[in-house]
Amino acid sequence: MLNMPHPRTILPIAVALLLAACGGGEQPQDTLQAPNADSLAQSERVGRTKKIFYSIPSPMETAALLKKAGAAYNGKILNDVKNVDKYTAASKQALNLGVYGADLSYANVFSHTQETMFYTSCARRLADKLGVTSAFNDSTMQLMEENQNDREKLMDVISETYWDMDRYLKVNDRENISALMIAGGWVEGLYIATQVAGSSPSAELKQRIAEQKLSLTDLNALLATYGEDETLTGVRADLEALAALYADVQAGGGGATTTTQENGVTVIGSESGPATLTDAQLKAITEKAAAIRNTYIN
Amino acid sequence: MLRQALVPALLAAGLLLTAGAAQAQCKSFAKNKCVPGLAPYKFNETFNGAQLAPGDEAEVALTFYSGQEYRVMVCVHQILGEVNWKLVDQNNRIVFESMADEPKPHFDFKAASTTQMRLVVWVPNRAKSDMTHLGCVAIMVGFKE
Repeated sequence: MLNMPHPRTILPIAVALLLAACGGGEQPQDTLQAPNADSLAQSERVGRTKKIFYSIPSPMETAALLKKAGAAYNGKILNDVKNVDKYTAASKQALNLGVYGADLSYANVFSHTQETMFYTSCARRLADKLGVTSAFNDSTMQLMEENQNDREKLMDVISETYWDMDRYLKVNDRENISALMIAGGWVEGLYIATQVAGSSPSAELKQRIAEQKLSLTDLNALLATYGEDETLTGVRADLEALAALYADVQAGGGGATTTTQENGVTVIGSESGPATLTDAQLKAITEKAAAIRNTYIN
Repeated sequence: MLRQALVPALLAAGLLLTAGAAQAQCKSFAKNKCVPGLAPYKFNETFNGAQLAPGDEAEVALTFYSGQEYRVMVCVHQILGEVNWKLVDQNNRIVFESMADEPKPHFDFKAASTTQMRLVVWVPNRAKSDMTHLGCVAIMVGFKE
């Protein structure tokens, strides 16, 4: 009779294999400079008495919206895990930390556990390269391994890890890395949505893509708070190019709201119609999102 | 000469570290004390929070997507006491309001259509004191999958 190894023996091996799936580590070719006083926490930049925040939907929220819109899962469109070792520049590592973060959220929301674990190991490797190891360590990976069949728990661990990483970056005045992560994740979310809409178009998916005009406006406003930080110049130009394509898109979201009660639940409506975009606009946005995303992942 | 240049640089570095540490503390506070209050809604993973003092005001633009159910909550460190907050639409109409003298824990609603609103929070000035209390104010949003 064969002796089965104890789970505690398997776990470190599994973690090692996951990490191996994302290749070996290299040092960054460039580094991201600590921002100057102008690029402190966004909340601290805008004067003392009135603080303004910009809320960008997380990749997890975007993925959940896609699922509700009837989107199917397509793992082939996600960034290849083998690409992780190509990212030697710190700016690319930060962007692709966002990209892999969006990919793992998409995989997790659609209950593709194995892919979730692979993309998590890629994100961890990039976090290592960026020096954010304390927030994303072996015990985190082990906790994920242990909960890989519990989607909710897995997402909680992922969320907590991202919080810890972000907190680490804030403490160490590396907020431009955080901004690149957010931008990379947002672009990947739009890329996934447009690719899925291309293969299985639906009115609701088109609506969700049109509504991204609202978060793109907020994302551009967030990046504007970093002043002339050169690290963000390229990303800013990319997002402005996308904003130009969105200029004539009817995004909804504006105007007065209406409030009603339905079975004890408050329902908020809007007098503006739902977001829409033409096929030509969708095509242009799809192509631009793919082009930008390809420059990030290659 | 060197000292003249060094002192402002050290002060600036100190301020940077203090601001970063304050932001991190606020994030820890939100994670440990505020996120559980969103249950059974799922935290949207977006942190909007800062250290505020009496008299300070903060504002965040929020997008709510059609068909989704949301919980909006303002979570405050006890040192500040209760705060005022409101959700206003793009015509500045108040959709929800929670005042410090009659605070409401959160606002739950369903978005029938995609809507952008501003959440405005302000810390009331208390009785005069020589001490200025700074405390974390976190604006939290949860949604149902």
